[in-house]
Amino acid sequence: MTVPDEHLLILAAILFATGVAGFLLRRNAIIVLASIELMLNAANLSFVAGCRMHSTSAAVNLDGAIFTIFVILVAAAEAAVGLALVIALYRLKQTVHLDALNELEG
Amino acid sequence: MDRYLADLGLIAPELVLTLLSLVVLVWDLVTKGRDSRQVAYLSLAGLGVVAYLLLGQWGDLAATGGKAETVAFGMVTIDAFGTFFKLFTVGSLAVVILFVLADRRERKHGIGEYYFLLLGAGIGVFFMVSTNNLLLLMLGLELLSLASYSLAGFHKSERRSAEASMKYVIFGGLSAGIMLYGISLLYGLTGTIDLNEMGIADGSGWPVGLAAQFAQDPVPVAVAIVLILAGFAYKVSVVPFHFWTPDVYEGAPTPVTTFLAVASKAAGFAVLLRFVGALFLVEGVDSTVAAYGERIGLLIAILAAVTMTLGNLSALRQTSMKRMLAYSSIAHAGYVLMGLAAMTPAGFSAAMFYLAAYYFMNLGAFGFLLYFEGVNKSEDIDALKGMGWKAPVVSIVMVAFLVSLTGLPPTVGFYGKLLLFYEGVDAGLGWLVLIAALNSVVSLFYYFRIAKALFLSEPAEREAEPQPFFTGFLALLGVGTILFGIYTEPLQNWSETGTDSLGIAEASE
Repeated sequence: MTVPDEHLLILAAILFATGVAGFLLRRNAIIVLASIELMLNAANLSFVAGCRMHSTSAAVNLDGAIFTIFVILVAAAEAAVGLALVIALYRLKQTVHLDALNELEG
Repeated sequence: MDRYLADLGLIAPELVLTLLSLVVLVWDLVTKGRDSRQVAYLSLAGLGVVAYLLLGQWGDLAATGGKAETVAFGMVTIDAFGTFFKLFTVGSLAVVILFVLADRRERKHGIGEYYFLLLGAGIGVFFMVSTNNLLLLMLGLELLSLASYSLAGFHKSERRSAEASMKYVIFGGLSAGIMLYGISLLYGLTGTIDLNEMGIADGSGWPVGLAAQFAQDPVPVAVAIVLILAGFAYKVSVVPFHFWTPDVYEGAPTPVTTFLAVASKAAGFAVLLRFVGALFLVEGVDSTVAAYGERIGLLIAILAAVTMTLGNLSALRQTSMKRMLAYSSIAHAGYVLMGLAAMTPAGFSAAMFYLAAYYFMNLGAFGFLLYFEGVNKSEDIDALKGMGWKAPVVSIVMVAFLVSLTGLPPTVGFYGKLLLFYEGVDAGLGWLVLIAALNSVVSLFYYFRIAKALFLSEPAEREAEPQPFFTGFLALLGVGTILFGIYTEPLQNWSETGTDSLGIAEASE
């Protein structure tokens, strides 16, 4: 029994929507960064699904799979920078709440 | 093997820049950050080598009509379009490094990473402007973004700097997520991550061309393309992805703001032009795809109108010069988008010309801001009152930049705007040109508040300590702004060569 491609794409869309919703609704910097990771992983899942759709037993289309590896790398780098900034901010403000970012007028 | 070595020759500028950034990093570690000025001089010398290599490459490319050559299994595309932006990127990196050296509020020791991060961002720009492959494009864009996040928060113990970079990283992450999801959908639909293959594939087997997708069901592919465009729109701060711009520009150290406003934004536009060109305007494009391209053009035209209006109206009520320049850069993004919205090769080269003009006048304007931050310890426009008499050369040069930013003759900004307006009317976007013209009038008010503060007030009590080196440097940029406004031929030729190398054609009616 194999999972149909459509299911992968639907799951990716749900993950992406969850990430966007988390980004828009939560005000905690760490949750927001986690929501961004969720969006990147939705892209990963959809890349892998695309990879499977375009591959046959004779010819394998690896573009999507390789893209996924690079996205994982980028996500890690982005998390590293993001969390370092969260720490810097916590030292200054003793909070990671995004509403505390009010030095610069909106 | 020979082929491989020849390939390496083509990406020599990138290789040298990468090597330079590593040498800079190690040098800083070895000297334990005792004198960061040495690191800056080393970076400048290295950038000189890169510029020399790029000029040689430009010569070769221009001789053959700027034809594209692909390197590294088609990942990197070396063409006149990319080299045009690389040359300006190297120039603005050098200017930004000089700004860091001249910044009186910056430490002189232990800031070697500053230069390393700037060069790293430069490598990102180099790769993102010279590829038709979405993977390399994404990696270049992310390298630029990651370096920019760190640079914006360089003074991490300063509240404003830390806040700016936090906002930048969060909105940057969102746009990266949106863009990558868009790319994954586009890959899922077409089976390729190469823009050229998407544009011209015939639709039998994979890669499936865009034409077949649009004919079958336009909704998914349109969604994917709009998601990707949203990612680019963030980089060039087009409404509605501009929220971060004023805050990040205000909070970041001024040399970094200069880099973000000039090099990073222009690189974003380069990617935008290449993406739209490769998908919708490439020679031999399917008529269905071209028809959807026109709709995308209309969408861009609407965004351009909203962007320039919002940028200009918000700039009007700013009291901080840094924030005002941030909104002005949003407005300028709107003007450049006009050239893209025209969806013609001539419109693209007008956009390129305007970006070149934008380098000159914005580097100058931010340099002026930095100069007076050092003198006044304040970014307020009011603090400039009467200072024109105390620092006459810098202030007169600033008036030239302001004239150019407004788009009045005889400056490069005027000619750039003229080209954009002409191409806009030519493409049947008369309404957009009208809005842009009205916007230019609005921008006159806030730009000339600075000139008014400088010269039409009583001379200030304070003295401005002369900084001959910095002054001479700004004067040089000012001369460039006026000279290229009078002799427009060279810049115009360069941007036309650049556009030609994209291989895009007039849409056949």
